[in-house]
Amino acid sequence: MEAALSYLAFFLVFAGIFAVMSLGLNLQWGFTGLFNVGVAGFVAVGAYASALLTGPPEPGRLGGLGLPIALGWLAAMAFSGLAALVVGAAALRLREDYLAITTFGIAVVIQLVALNAQALTGGPFGIQSIPKPLVGLLGTGFAWNLAYLGIVLLVLATAYMALERLVASPWGRVLRAIREDEAAAASLGKHARAFRLQAFVIGSMLMGLGGALYAHFVGYIAPEDFLPVLTFQVWAMLIVGGSGNNLGAILGAVIVWAIWSVSGGLIREILPASEQARGAALQVVLIGVLIAAVLLLRPRGLLGERATVSRHLQGAPHNRSDATTK
Amino acid sequence: MLQLVADGLVVGSVIALGAVGLTMTYSILRFANFGQGEFMTWGAYLAVSALALALAALGLPEMRPVGPFSFGWPLILAMLVAAAGTALIALGVDWALFRRLRRHGNAITLVIASFGAALALRNLLQFTYGTLPEYYTREIQIAVRLVPRDVLGGLRITPDQMLVIGLSLVLVVALHLFLARTTLGRAMRATAMNPALARVAGIDVEAVVRATWIIGAGLAAMAGVMAGLVGQIRPMLGFDLLLPLFAAAILGGIGSVWGAVLGGYIVGLAESFSVPLLGAEYRAATAFLVLIAILLLRPTGLFGERA
Amino acid sequence: MTPALEVRDLEAGYEPGLPILRRASLAVMPGEIVALLGPNGAGKSTLVKACAGLVPVSAGQVLLDGRDITRVSPHRMVHEGLGFVPQTENIFANLTVAENLELAAAIVRADRRAKLGQMYALFPDLARQRRLSAGRLSGGQRQMLAVARALVATPRLLVLDEPSAGLSPLLVGVVFEQLRRVRESGVTILLVEQNVKAALALADRAVVLVEGRERLEGPAAALATDPRLGGLYLGAAAEAH
Repeated sequence: MEAALSYLAFFLVFAGIFAVMSLGLNLQWGFTGLFNVGVAGFVAVGAYASALLTGPPEPGRLGGLGLPIALGWLAAMAFSGLAALVVGAAALRLREDYLAITTFGIAVVIQLVALNAQALTGGPFGIQSIPKPLVGLLGTGFAWNLAYLGIVLLVLATAYMALERLVASPWGRVLRAIREDEAAAASLGKHARAFRLQAFVIGSMLMGLGGALYAHFVGYIAPEDFLPVLTFQVWAMLIVGGSGNNLGAILGAVIVWAIWSVSGGLIREILPASEQARGAALQVVLIGVLIAAVLLLRPRGLLGERATVSRHLQGAPHNRSDATTK
Repeated sequence: MLQLVADGLVVGSVIALGAVGLTMTYSILRFANFGQGEFMTWGAYLAVSALALALAALGLPEMRPVGPFSFGWPLILAMLVAAAGTALIALGVDWALFRRLRRHGNAITLVIASFGAALALRNLLQFTYGTLPEYYTREIQIAVRLVPRDVLGGLRITPDQMLVIGLSLVLVVALHLFLARTTLGRAMRATAMNPALARVAGIDVEAVVRATWIIGAGLAAMAGVMAGLVGQIRPMLGFDLLLPLFAAAILGGIGSVWGAVLGGYIVGLAESFSVPLLGAEYRAATAFLVLIAILLLRPTGLFGERA
Repeated sequence: MTPALEVRDLEAGYEPGLPILRRASLAVMPGEIVALLGPNGAGKSTLVKACAGLVPVSAGQVLLDGRDITRVSPHRMVHEGLGFVPQTENIFANLTVAENLELAAAIVRADRRAKLGQMYALFPDLARQRRLSAGRLSGGQRQMLAVARALVATPRLLVLDEPSAGLSPLLVGVVFEQLRRVRESGVTILLVEQNVKAALALADRAVVLVEGRERLEGPAAALATDPRLGGLYLGAAAEAH
């Protein structure tokens, strides 16, 4: 019983962390129409930033400042936001698919740095002994898992409420107007770019925060935690849940992570050790097919965008589908 | 110095060929296809299978090298089979996925879909072939010294590498002639320029789309085989080349075949020259620097018409 | 006599449930030049685009020489004998003048040499610029190339969407003079025009479209002096304000 509960807590922590990232992507893609293929890169920046600032000193490696964990999480957001600012400033002036290519590139570069900049990132072995909050108080057992789940849910709820207020504010309405109406975007000119950049940076900050939450839960990070498949998982979550809807982003995170965990468990159970790598490959194919199926059959996802926006869509002289089928 | 140029040209030839396919699909289908790298990987691996089949069918224990090269005729045959097979994969993905999304969604939905398709293709390949590196041949090749060591550091190159440079140029010239002279080639250029007018003018745009996939994926597959010939055949072969491919295509200007070729050589040379500066481990980051530079300085690319 | 083009109760629009054409009808007899007139937003362009298969039709029919072509896909229209010249971006700017024409000839498997010879005779300007990239032609020459490109396929009916758009009055005269010669070679013409005066001078007959329906039609010469014509334009303008 306790094993099951412990596993459930474990599962929910991960689902919650993914939900934070998925909310970040939702602000970028769902509300602003920005295509970020470098989610894993921004998550990695946050994870490494917090780990380096809060961890114990390590000979031959930079960082290890032993700062408070809360400070590390703020720094995670700051560094990921900074990375997004640089990328966005270069790519947001251009066609939307150039942002996709640039974010893909930055994720590749971050992966290279994580693998090779031994003095900063610990190279392929990554960073160990990342401090876990409250562990002195609760130990590392079930109680701690539960406490961390509480922290994650608190962060998630805060992020959710903040985003809900943000997208309902005039700022959020401008974002949707820019996304849906090319003419409106053009008339805003430079301002439109500033709005897009803000949304891109805030979304990436949430991804960085997700990375930090992950690092301090697991206790160690390595480059292989931030492969393109992570980007893809977060995308699958948003698309399945319904982009443009914050609850959808959270729901999608839970569902896709459940599918992922169950299929992963099955592969471990069924396949012999020698075949596990191939099984894991099949798992990714499964998610790939899922994303394609949702795009084809239910393009708005499970929850989709809310009615306020749909009304706006009908009233808009040039909605998105119209603008692109010409 | 000269050695770096030669190495850059070899890698650049592979990038150029892949980027030509990418720029064509980009300009005619109007989306950035993240699956282009996977076509290269599938091409390389399908050639491994085709080679094994060909040798078995001919009853040969192994491939007999031709002339100075490390491989024989069966590999050329295998490359053509791989190109055809990869084209079929591309047509299959288009039929199952892109064709439907083209009708409803917008261009960026196609990009997401291609990202998903790329991941699925890559993992399907790992599932099928495993993750161990493969080789077409175990022949050891002696590099030819073209330039003595005391002239600009000298230059050694293997016959295989020279063939890669030459063959990619031949393929690009053939493609150029096809686009310039044939009706289908002109119809492809016309569709890239103005798909709405193309339909009005009587061009069957769906047929053009199919031709584009066949050519783009076929070229990618051949580039993959060449990459495998001068290096290792790995599941990440194409993924690792995707960023250089995009950098080359954008550097040359989307839609420009010769631009993509030139872009491929520039990215290849930049990678090669970055090794003594940044170290071999950051070689892959060079393409990103080239990409950022071109986006900041001249986003339409060297020969591009539209941004 | 069977009309070259007959549009029957056509209902069409870009979005479902929002028809721009509301049961519009018209007929063009073989050998005629018919001008389609009307105020902005009347649906003139939508009507000709629907004929060319470019706008979804929700009801009604389009008949070419009595044959139903209502839902034929746009790229088949050329083979059916309908040539369409869009208002803007109506040439392939990245191909040369000759390539534009050769491509059009190849699509319908016409005799390339003979066709290009005919076009160069009809449009001597194009003959002089044949090796030039079409994107570098002047506005009038572009329009000629667009017409020539459509004519290469030997259409029985040529449909033009505002051929005078963006041209100087002098060039409008030149282009319209050429359209007259095109008609003399046996091609029926339907053209949408904003330039009412020039259109009525060129056309045999005119149809006036208002709010997606034909409201007035008659011989061009008669319409030119018909006070109702101005009223229809003014009425629509008054409603818009």
